[in-house]
Amino acid sequence: MSRDLLSEVRRVAADVFAVDAKALGAASSPEQVATWDSVQHLNLVLALEGKYGIQFEPEEMERMKNLGAIALLLGTKLS
Amino acid sequence: MPIEIRPFSAEWRQAVRQFNGRLDEANVAPGMRLPEDPQTEMLPASESYLAVEEGVVRGGYTLRPQQFSFRGEIRPVAHYRLPVSEGPIDKRYALVGSLLLRSALQKEPLLYALGMGGFEQPLPRMLQAMGWGLSPVPFYFRVVHPARFLRKIRAARVSRWRAALMDFAASTGIGWLGIHATQRSRTRWGGRVPRKEVGEFGAWADEIWEDSHRAYGMVAVRNSEVLQQLYPASSARFLRIQVGAAGWAVMLDTAMHDDPYFGDLRVGTIVDCLAKPVDAAKVIRSARIYLEQRGVDLIISNQGHPAWTEALRADGFFNGPTNFVFGASPALCALGVADRHINRGDGDGPVHL
Repeated sequence: MSRDLLSEVRRVAADVFAVDAKALGAASSPEQVATWDSVQHLNLVLALEGKYGIQFEPEEMERMKNLGAIALLLGTKLS
Repeated sequence: MPIEIRPFSAEWRQAVRQFNGRLDEANVAPGMRLPEDPQTEMLPASESYLAVEEGVVRGGYTLRPQQFSFRGEIRPVAHYRLPVSEGPIDKRYALVGSLLLRSALQKEPLLYALGMGGFEQPLPRMLQAMGWGLSPVPFYFRVVHPARFLRKIRAARVSRWRAALMDFAASTGIGWLGIHATQRSRTRWGGRVPRKEVGEFGAWADEIWEDSHRAYGMVAVRNSEVLQQLYPASSARFLRIQVGAAGWAVMLDTAMHDDPYFGDLRVGTIVDCLAKPVDAAKVIRSARIYLEQRGVDLIISNQGHPAWTEALRADGFFNGPTNFVFGASPALCALGVADRHINRGDGDGPVHL
C-alpha cells in the first residue's frame, strides 16, 4: 500500500474520530481508538467514498478491520 | 478472516443462540436479539441474514417485504428490521453495523426503518449518515382515569417533588377536574358514528382499502388478506371495530405491570386504523369511546399522517414526547414519502404494548 494513501486515510480518520493523526497508524483499529464505534466507522467509510468518488461494496467492507487494511483496499479500488 | 453476509438457514440456529447468549451476558437491551428461528416473522417471505466470521455469528438483520401504495401505485418495499451487531460489546466488530446496512440496501434499495428508540440511538444516526430521511411519528394520549393516571404514570413522575405534586392533585380531585376540563374543552363534538366490534377482517375491509389508499402518499397495503395475517382472528389480543363504511381500527387493552413508562396502568392503544383522511376523526372518536367503555385508564396512539394527528387533537388527545422514528432510504424518499400513513401497525407491529 502506498505510504501517501495510508497518510490520507490516517488524516481522514483523525478528522472523523476527532483524534491526533499522529496517534493513528496502519494497525489502528476500533479496539484501540475509543471514538471508533459503528457510527463513526460508517462516517469514515462515507468520508473516504466522498473524497475519492468511489463506493465500497459490502464484500469490500467486510475486510476493513484496521486503517492499513482500509488503505490497501482503497489502493486496489483506485488502481 | 473477512466477515460474510449469509442467509439465515436452519443450520445456523445454534450459532445464533450463542450470539444472543453473548449479548445476554453483556446485558444488552433485551429487544436487541436475533430471531432464533428463521421462520418466526409476522409476514411471509421475510428473510433474515447473518454476518458470519469463521462460522461464528457476529450480527444480522431481517428484511420484511411489504407492498405499499403510493397514491394508488403499488410497489414492493422492505422493512429493515432488527439489525443487531456484536460491535457494541466487542469493538473488533464495529464495522458490522455499516456492513449490515450496505448489504440490506444492495438487496433492496426501497427500505424503511421504524421505531428505533429515538434519534440519538446508533441506528438512526447511521441511517442519517447514509442520507436516509428521518422523522418522528407523533405520540398522543388521552387520560380516562385522572387519579390513577397521576398516581401511576412513571414517565411523568420523574422526581420525588413531581410525584408528590401529582399525588396531591390525585387525592384532592384537582387533577381529575383539571384533566377532564382540559380534555373536554379540546374535544370537538362529532356526533354519533356507527361502530361495530368485529372478530375478523372480511370483504368490507377490502372496500375500505380500495376507497381510501389513493388519498395517501404512502400507506402499507391493508386489505383483508394482509389484515388477517397481521391481526389474526385467532388472537384475542387484538380488538377490532368497523366504523360503518368509513373505516376501521385495531386496538389493544393492556394491563401493564411495572412498566417503565406506564407503571401498573391499564393502557388502551389505537394501534392501526384506516379510512379516507376526511373520515379519520370518525374512526378516532369511535375507537376512543370504545376503549373508554372498556374501562382503560389511558389511551395512546402513534400516528404519522396529519389527518390522523388532527383527528386525535380534535378528540381531546394531548401530544407527548415520542421516540418512535420513521426512516426512509434515499431511494424510498425519492419515490415520495410525504403524506404517509404510518402507525404502530407498521414495522414490528404493536410490540411492548
